[in-house]
Amino acid sequence: MHHHHLDRFAHLDSPVHRLDARAKFLAAVAYTVTVISFDRYAVGVLAPLAIGPVVLLWLGGVPLGFALRRAAILCPFIATLALFSPLYDRLPHAVAFGPWAFQIAGGWLTAADVTLKFTLGVLALTALVATTPFALLLEALRRMGTPRMLVVQLGFLYRYIFVLIDEAMRTRRARDFRGAAAAPAGRRLAATGGVIASLFVRTLDRSDRIHAAMLARGYQGEPHSLSRLRFTLTDAAFLILAAAYLAACRWVWPAMLWRIF
Amino acid sequence: MPAILAMHMANELLTPPVAAATLVLAAVVVAAASLWAGKKLPADRAPLMGVMGAFVFAAQMINFSLPGMPGTSGHMVGGVLLAILLGPAAGIVTIAAILIVQCLLFQDGGLLALGCNIINMGVVPCLVGWGVYRLLLGPAGAAKAGRQYLAAWAACTAGVAGGAALVPAESYVSGVLRINVWQFLQVMVGVHVLIGFVEGAITFAVLAYLRRVRPAAVGLAGAEGPPGRVGGKGVLVSLLATALLLAGVVSWFASTHPDGLEWAYQEHFKHGDKPAVENASPVVAAVDRWQAKWSPMSDYASRSAPLGQEPPAAEAGAGVGSQKASASAAWPNVSGWGSLAGVLGTLVTLAVLYPVTQKFRRRVVAPGTAETS
Repeated sequence: MHHHHLDRFAHLDSPVHRLDARAKFLAAVAYTVTVISFDRYAVGVLAPLAIGPVVLLWLGGVPLGFALRRAAILCPFIATLALFSPLYDRLPHAVAFGPWAFQIAGGWLTAADVTLKFTLGVLALTALVATTPFALLLEALRRMGTPRMLVVQLGFLYRYIFVLIDEAMRTRRARDFRGAAAAPAGRRLAATGGVIASLFVRTLDRSDRIHAAMLARGYQGEPHSLSRLRFTLTDAAFLILAAAYLAACRWVWPAMLWRIF
Repeated sequence: MPAILAMHMANELLTPPVAAATLVLAAVVVAAASLWAGKKLPADRAPLMGVMGAFVFAAQMINFSLPGMPGTSGHMVGGVLLAILLGPAAGIVTIAAILIVQCLLFQDGGLLALGCNIINMGVVPCLVGWGVYRLLLGPAGAAKAGRQYLAAWAACTAGVAGGAALVPAESYVSGVLRINVWQFLQVMVGVHVLIGFVEGAITFAVLAYLRRVRPAAVGLAGAEGPPGRVGGKGVLVSLLATALLLAGVVSWFASTHPDGLEWAYQEHFKHGDKPAVENASPVVAAVDRWQAKWSPMSDYASRSAPLGQEPPAAEAGAGVGSQKASASAAWPNVSGWGSLAGVLGTLVTLAVLYPVTQKFRRRVVAPGTAETS
């Protein structure tokens, strides 16, 4: 498991990749707010909201399957919760879908609604992250007022996740080769604690070495970055377009639906 | 990562006002914590918290197969350990950074639910866990191993379960999910008391190792701390205490609401339909009557009639009717009988399970049958 696996699409070049990270981040937040502002029986009304992220993913050259797979991996918890609501909300609702019209308990609508909203949210986040290198995203967060300290920590976290995960896997393999699985529970627990604690000690030492290396490269309490963000006319146009699209999804489309059907 | 996954709130369970309020609260707390941590930590520790966040990710990869449940394995969540080792402020900042990366890179936990998640998994476990640990440990310089074990175990249980209890509360305030909030609370707290127990055991194992290898990291004075070993007795006592706590707390919360399925059946009745479940068979009716007569604590409450006689409600014929009567009683059900029934039931179950597990254990631990997980 490496960065390649997570943001392998972030370094491509496309119109979406070239947008300013701040514009994309703001659009993602606005999109999420729009999605969860619908009430809990909204199902069909949500349909046009799928258009935005899917179009961005297509434009950015990110396979849709990649985004949907993420949603599928993450959904069991939310689906379990959602599937309980039919037990509690049994108020019948009339549902019409084309020529078919039938009655269904409100809880089923809620379950479908929550699952759909979740999938839309994951699609939007994937569209943001898969088209923006993480360093640029952090730079955007910093420019928008996130405390510098937190941004620096996020950068280190991103940099060292897989380094330390690899180290942990090696240590775990060593523990398992020494027959830890067959040991009594108390020994097994002590072995696990020892592995984690030695990882902790090594991490402490590693952070000291990293700091020394930073000082050697001229660090004086201020992180420097080569990544430049420029907010251009294209970004303004993107934001206006996104706002118009979201407003249409939120107000115009439901009203039209009401009028026609 | 089931333990972590089970607590991540999703956007969809929140309404925009709740999401906004929790985001603001979390932002204020994290900002204050990063100021505090920046002042407290020595200047040569700039990368410490970020690299520690990566450490927590890595530590979650090291699993530990749970005793008595072959095939399942636990791993640590790490929040309380960080609070103990680095202090609550640095712990909060580190967990917040982890959650932001999980949200942005792994799409685990929603963007707008970030505030809730930081509060549930960062702020509450760090503050509560650190507080409980410090209270129970006493002077850190010369703490005994047993006391440190007890403190770590209690801190993890309280911190993890306390944070988990907020998940149902937040979804209740939002009102999106139509789930009985008390049942949701029971399940979340019950599961997380257990998770907290495993967390406490691993946390102590880590602390015990650090006591021997690097006493300064655990706040011990002197180069060589007292050896960090705890006899089986301490572990056994805390195991029993968890079981009792679980039974006591959960059955205290076992509200007078019937459970989901029963409730659904009742609703069915209300609409004037036929009962969803009919037991016209005389055998079933006889078994029901026998159970009502001889079960000492039917429905986890004390009997209303002496053993061997049918309780008056049962004579009315409908178990549903008696439940409706009890459903009108106020929540929580503090009468104490529910708690007693839960505790006694736990003890009886443990007594039954003990010989069974012993038998299985002999078979499993035979050489050459190492479990792979």
